[in-house]
Amino acid sequence: MAWEKFNPNLAAHDLVQDMKWDPKLREEFKQNESAVLDRYKLMPQERKAIEERDFRTLYDLGMHPYLGGQLSRFIWGNDAGKGAVEASNKLVASLQGHSRDIPPT
Amino acid sequence: MGRIVFAAGAPHAPAIVGLFDRAPAESQKVVKDTYAAISHELRAARPDVVIMFANDHLANSRITFYPDFLIGTAAVHSGPHEWFQEWIACRNYTAKGNPDVAKALFQGMTRRGIRMSSREENLNFDDNISVPVVMTDLDQTDMTLVPVLQNCTVPPYPSPEKCYEVGKALREFIEQDLPQDMRVALFGSGGLSHEPGGVKYYKIDEDFDRAFLDICVAGDHKKLLKEITIERLEEAGTGGTAELLSWFPVMAAIGERPGRSFGYTGWPSFRCGVGGVIWDLDSKQ
Repeated sequence: MAWEKFNPNLAAHDLVQDMKWDPKLREEFKQNESAVLDRYKLMPQERKAIEERDFRTLYDLGMHPYLGGQLSRFIWGNDAGKGAVEASNKLVASLQGHSRDIPPT
Repeated sequence: MGRIVFAAGAPHAPAIVGLFDRAPAESQKVVKDTYAAISHELRAARPDVVIMFANDHLANSRITFYPDFLIGTAAVHSGPHEWFQEWIACRNYTAKGNPDVAKALFQGMTRRGIRMSSREENLNFDDNISVPVVMTDLDQTDMTLVPVLQNCTVPPYPSPEKCYEVGKALREFIEQDLPQDMRVALFGSGGLSHEPGGVKYYKIDEDFDRAFLDICVAGDHKKLLKEITIERLEEAGTGGTAELLSWFPVMAAIGERPGRSFGYTGWPSFRCGVGGVIWDLDSKQ
């Protein structure tokens, strides 16, 4: 079970929820990520992991993977045909600890 | 008393819409055959209302305050929610709601000891409700929709036994609380195996999926509750496969009946095993 580390207290969860519900915040995250991160009570290592796109560490800190997947789409793209595929490739590469793309087929 | 006239379970993976054109022919065929049969038989059953159980995917509530079953009581249900539009790449829709049935369901389940929650605003729908609605063109029929968004992904989510109990109460509700001759369709939206956002994002557990479909087709509920445990669901894809728990209330409500499935595909780019079941309500229990 991968839920042993799950920690519902993580502020990163609220960050993802808010971006999902607020297009303006999403845009601001793209333009000025650190200003958005400043508003959340992220632990230092949690913030560093977001900044470094280090999903392995984020998950080890207790991030919910479904919201982790959504965070990857805010960063790398959300459109069905391209961006979301790239996002899931990069997310899996980060979780598996390498930098190559995962061929989706 | 109301009557159940249709019951089905099917996946709502966004890629069966967004990546459909790129899928191999045999995978396209499974998607087409499954949803064509559902669309056709759903119409033939002439339901007044479709009660649809589906994983909420954290689209409506914060993780710190998360309902297990959230009933949408709105008069209309529009979707997909803005952020999910480009992700699913499906058309927009506005389906007719059914506030009377939705509120009666909330009261009826409460009275029967099942805690649910309800919300009057248009809920945020992602693939959970949107994919079945556009794949069946439900919004272009006279049928009304009552969505029940279920917690299948924030631990501790309702167990298989609990979801089965919900289905038994649902049956009582339909038979005892709904108006005479009201025709009800039940739809469990979700699955099959997948691990969204996880390290096994591209891994599909075909053995699990085929075994699950076999159990559903056989209508063997003893086996269902014995073999489809939380542990097995999580092993077959953490945080995703457990949305098959949305099929449990449907199965429990109709009782042990056989069904039909329309093929199976585990094409990795769907990032989800795909296959569905329509249960045969004319069969003897």
